[in-house]
Amino acid sequence: MLKDSAKHFCRSISYDDPLEVCISKIQGLLLSDYRMSKRALALLLLQEDKEIVDTVRDKEGERFDKIMGIVQETKTHYLRPLTYIISLRRQKEASRIAKLTVGFPGQQKLSIKEKLSKILMDPIIGGPILLAILYYGLYKFVGNFGAGVLVDFLEDKVFIARLNPLVTSLINKAIPYKLLQDLLVGEYGIITLGVRYAFAIILPIVTTFFFAFAIVEDTGYLPRLAMLVDQLFKKIGLSGRAVIPLVLGFGCDTMATMVTRTLPTKRERIIATLLLALAIPCSAQMGVILGLLSDNGIGLGVWLGVIIAVFILVGLLASKIMPGELPSFYMEIPPLRIPQVSNVVRKTASRLSWYFKEVFPLFIFASVIIWIGQITGVFSLVVKILQYPIRWIGLPDKAAVAFLFGFFRRDYGAAGLYDLKKAGLLSGNQLVVACITLTLFLPCIAQLLMNIKERGLRLGIAMSLFILFFSFTVGYSVNLVLTLFNIRL
Amino acid sequence: MQKIAVVGSPNVGKSVIFNNLTGTYATVSNYPGTTVEVSRGKSKIGNKEFEIIDTPGIYSFLPLSEEERVTRRILMQENPCLILHVVDAKNLERMLSLTLQLLEASLPVILILNIIDEARALGMKIDTARLEKELNIPVVATVSITGEGMDILRGRIEEHVKRFC
Repeated sequence: MLKDSAKHFCRSISYDDPLEVCISKIQGLLLSDYRMSKRALALLLLQEDKEIVDTVRDKEGERFDKIMGIVQETKTHYLRPLTYIISLRRQKEASRIAKLTVGFPGQQKLSIKEKLSKILMDPIIGGPILLAILYYGLYKFVGNFGAGVLVDFLEDKVFIARLNPLVTSLINKAIPYKLLQDLLVGEYGIITLGVRYAFAIILPIVTTFFFAFAIVEDTGYLPRLAMLVDQLFKKIGLSGRAVIPLVLGFGCDTMATMVTRTLPTKRERIIATLLLALAIPCSAQMGVILGLLSDNGIGLGVWLGVIIAVFILVGLLASKIMPGELPSFYMEIPPLRIPQVSNVVRKTASRLSWYFKEVFPLFIFASVIIWIGQITGVFSLVVKILQYPIRWIGLPDKAAVAFLFGFFRRDYGAAGLYDLKKAGLLSGNQLVVACITLTLFLPCIAQLLMNIKERGLRLGIAMSLFILFFSFTVGYSVNLVLTLFNIRL
Repeated sequence: MQKIAVVGSPNVGKSVIFNNLTGTYATVSNYPGTTVEVSRGKSKIGNKEFEIIDTPGIYSFLPLSEEERVTRRILMQENPCLILHVVDAKNLERMLSLTLQLLEASLPVILILNIIDEARALGMKIDTARLEKELNIPVVATVSITGEGMDILRGRIEEHVKRFC
């Protein structure tokens, strides 16, 4: 039947020359019957379709290696993946036909939605819009309202004033062993620290964040944002797709690391994980740092500039060092729409429950580790060791405690600096250097555990060592530059 | 019994067209070795009976998901003597790419511009005669949920199966 109809239905597109030459070479080597044109088969082989490759391996015997040799050779002619080249050509042909056959009588006007969509993806106007969304959505709503108002209420009014004393006295009565009391309700206990962190600090922050994110997501803005930053991200070895985990990182880096699963290549996942651990401060930390530097505009500028520079520099380096194909990226752009309340609520709720299931155990685990660190004396030892690099970047010894705490929770480290600043122990320069180093410094323990879970033990540890070294080097350099040029912030 | 496969991306009205052609009796079963469901039914076209297959949605002939793989397997292994490629007329430009891929594979295709009423409402005018000439295959405009164009489609299928099946 196929032979009969083939003449009628074969209508092929011509691809560019190197591709056509390879197609006909491969066609010549395909001798078995496949119930579809050899040309289509050759194209699928060039795109390395697994099922087709397997079928051809079975049917063509010794010719198979020759065929795959041609495929490999063809790839060297093109910078981009063949899949991309081939679909682009097809889409061009589809557009040509559509232009000939589809008409819009009268002047075809862009609807308001389409205009807005264009503006959002425009590199010049789109940038400020992105900043506005980040400012109101992230800084105002999540930072001020979630991390400020809600956390203050839950933490001070609910946990510290009511729940903690109640639970502490109950446990102290029920369990007479000091060691176990410390584990459960001590300064860093599972309930007083782990549960409190999870519910009083993390819950309001991620709830407001997920809520804001769900609204933005439901409007259809994210794919447009991905298109907006795609070119920039290509330079650092990522594609526009990585925008979603990176934006999520401003909410919580631990969760964002989990979301790097959605990136298509291992290389992209590694680069994104590294950038998240290094240069993206989570909302909790950002809130405290913005508070620390709020009366020092130039200092805030220096902090922002250094962090952005590090983000770009490390991205560039990582993409140079790590071999791999250029990420290819095309995304369907859905229409813009007004977000639906029911959608937003459902998304927020399902993400929250998913997040808690994954992250809550890590907090408990962190409490246990701190407890062990305290009773074994490892803690005070680490503080002593940390004092050396701390002096090296020109900070007082006392900052070492803040840095160690920064590892357990990034914002706690920053909050430690807050106390030092209040006590008048930090100059303007020291404060900026400390903020920069602490932002870059090791991810919090939950994120570290997530890094290991997602990227494996070897890579997780390697990344942490790199970050440890790198953050202090940057702190040192900034301090050096400020001192050399006698700049006082 | 010769087979006719209904293919296209998700949400273009494949199943409505399938139901329209087969009437009430359809069997739904997992494709062997997968969790993907495929519906099959019978339809009398002219005076011959055909098995109609409602395939899982595909975007491209290069499959990314299990659903897409199943659809391609159906097209390659079950040897349908006709493929009805259903597209959303509004998004013709984007969906033509799959038509071109089916034709590249020398598969016998009729292109169905479904949901043509919505395209019309947007002010789109599609020159089906010109499209037939460009693609060199039959093109039919339908609104599957109201049944508009379905008689013409049946006619075109009949013409096709008389010649090729």
